[in-house]
Amino acid sequence: MMKAYFSDLVKGIEAKIEQAPSEATPRKIFALEVARLGERLYSGTTPVAWCGVTAPFDLLGAMGITSCFVEFVGGMLAATGMEGAFLEEAEQLGFGRDTCGYHRAVIGAAEKGLMPVPDFLVATSSPCTGGVATVENLARHFEKELFVLNVPQPDNPAGVAYLADQLRDLAAFVTAHTATPLAPDRLAQSIQLSNQACDLLDEAFQLAGHIPSPAQGNEMSNLGIVLALLFGTPAAVTVATAYRDAFRQRIAASAGNGGHERLRLMWIQNRIQFKQPITEWLADAHGAVIVCDELNNITWDAIDPQDPWAGMAERAIRLCINGTADHRTRLLQDMARRQKVHGAVNPCHWGCRQGTGARGLIADSMKQIGVPVLNLEVDCVDSRNFSEGQVKTRLEAFMEVLAAKPSPWQL
Amino acid sequence: MYYLGLDLGSLSCDAVLIDEQGDIVAAAVVPTGARNLEAIERAKAEVLSAAGIGADAVRATVSTGYGRDRVADRLAAVTEITCHARGILALRADTRVLIDIGGQDSKVIRIDSQGRVEDFAMNDKCAAGTGRFLEAMARALQVDIEQLSDLDHGAMQNITLSSMCTVFAESEVVSLIADGTAVNEIVKGLNRSIASRTASLVKRVCPDLNGYPVAMSGGVAHNNGVVRALGEVLQCEVTVPDRPDAIGALGAALIARDKSR
Repeated sequence: MMKAYFSDLVKGIEAKIEQAPSEATPRKIFALEVARLGERLYSGTTPVAWCGVTAPFDLLGAMGITSCFVEFVGGMLAATGMEGAFLEEAEQLGFGRDTCGYHRAVIGAAEKGLMPVPDFLVATSSPCTGGVATVENLARHFEKELFVLNVPQPDNPAGVAYLADQLRDLAAFVTAHTATPLAPDRLAQSIQLSNQACDLLDEAFQLAGHIPSPAQGNEMSNLGIVLALLFGTPAAVTVATAYRDAFRQRIAASAGNGGHERLRLMWIQNRIQFKQPITEWLADAHGAVIVCDELNNITWDAIDPQDPWAGMAERAIRLCINGTADHRTRLLQDMARRQKVHGAVNPCHWGCRQGTGARGLIADSMKQIGVPVLNLEVDCVDSRNFSEGQVKTRLEAFMEVLAAKPSPWQL
Repeated sequence: MYYLGLDLGSLSCDAVLIDEQGDIVAAAVVPTGARNLEAIERAKAEVLSAAGIGADAVRATVSTGYGRDRVADRLAAVTEITCHARGILALRADTRVLIDIGGQDSKVIRIDSQGRVEDFAMNDKCAAGTGRFLEAMARALQVDIEQLSDLDHGAMQNITLSSMCTVFAESEVVSLIADGTAVNEIVKGLNRSIASRTASLVKRVCPDLNGYPVAMSGGVAHNNGVVRALGEVLQCEVTVPDRPDAIGALGAALIARDKSR
């Protein structure tokens, strides 16, 4: 079923782009490449690894593995409006309804036979132990071997060396399953493509900070975190180039978000994955535009293609979803200043200890720089827990607060 | 000319009519019921009748409350947060923290020295601790909701209601009655439960009250026991204006006047 779904999706988007190449928005190009990834995952033609969010997808790709973090499945099911049955399946197994919807959905999907059987699994201790437990559950379910990457929290040489050693061990683990050793040239090529994509993506994110922002609607939603699945491939470069070029063109043509931008918002942690009208309504009713996402942030340096281990380790350690709340709040403050936001929205995804644990510290640190934060209580995956009126009232009141408040940036 | 504020809440629809000076000319509170458009018309008709004016004398209407977008012929729809802040400032200009507990929402609003909403917090996930909660508890205790207000008098114990889920709390109350616990002790326990839940919202927007004047609005502000319990938990005086359930509508009317100028 899923193989046919992704194949049809790929064909449909390709046909639309072919019919009207000039209307190939960056989001459409992004959707096409993600659909192609989905098609590969379900094709049965390449080895598959189900992973944690911070796995090195370019390393795995260089070793011929099609890999994906498990939370992607929850997001995809919610985006297509199909999450309910899979969440219920997990709940019937005993997972509480207030635990993470991403993880419940993927557990349910595995139980219902929706996920391709992996060749092995790679859990990552970052961003959350719930993710490790979920991947461990899947390993038990599929009766496949599990490799756990322990991502240290401190960003120091010892931590980097510790993780770099684990990444080498991971390569050996993969070789043991595929009988194909890692080709250094192939890894170097993969890393070069990752670096190129990250440079382009970083440029696109900076352009999104232009006043008014060229970013429109939900087009930056999930971009940084999902594009990591394509790192090491030309597809990531294609997508990042499309965003960079589209934003450049819109700025040049003064055709950003329709010229109605009154409030600039930052979205903290993950977006709401199921269909809902919030983003469009914010723009239409309040001129409020989401100009940056916490998860769209390139927080690491270019990786040395000839000696990538330390660089890949640094990347995982420096991600905004790893490390202390202090690390996270500094990144958020920098982003808020850079993108000149008036306020930030933190959905505080239900059941997410990683996402909600620091919310008071985040709100305080943003207040220090004059940026108010709205903490919501939203299940970003389970639409059964979503009350549009309740969320709209909170957001609308927040917009009223922001509109009555002088901008911290004297725009 | 006159200005109308309509607050369409889950339990009641409140209307306030003010004149150019911002003085209240008439106010009405009618049950919302299942047909909220009818409730709007009834509330409007009541205030127009009480003021002895026709609809054409109303220059502008601003709506608020969960049904704010359902009000026709409005100048604007504004959230309860902004309207309650505006309304309380007209009556008690020194208020810095406003607690509003309505039918299904409880909210705490922090107001800065210039009268702007600085921060706010609302109940999430469930409506325990709101007007609906008190209705259910009154039903379990077999008393009218108005009677709850002073039924805590003389209570000496500190009964803790272990759950703030309305359904579970109702069965807990039934169990306490069956165990022979005095009604005033149960009511005091309920009031403290609501106060404790609300206090956490207060602390969220104002970690240190630091002598800030605290006021309360919304229908639950009529319940003296809850107000007393809030004062005890927050260790401050909680003042209640006249017609606390009409503060949102008053704010809406004042915003209608301000926007029309």
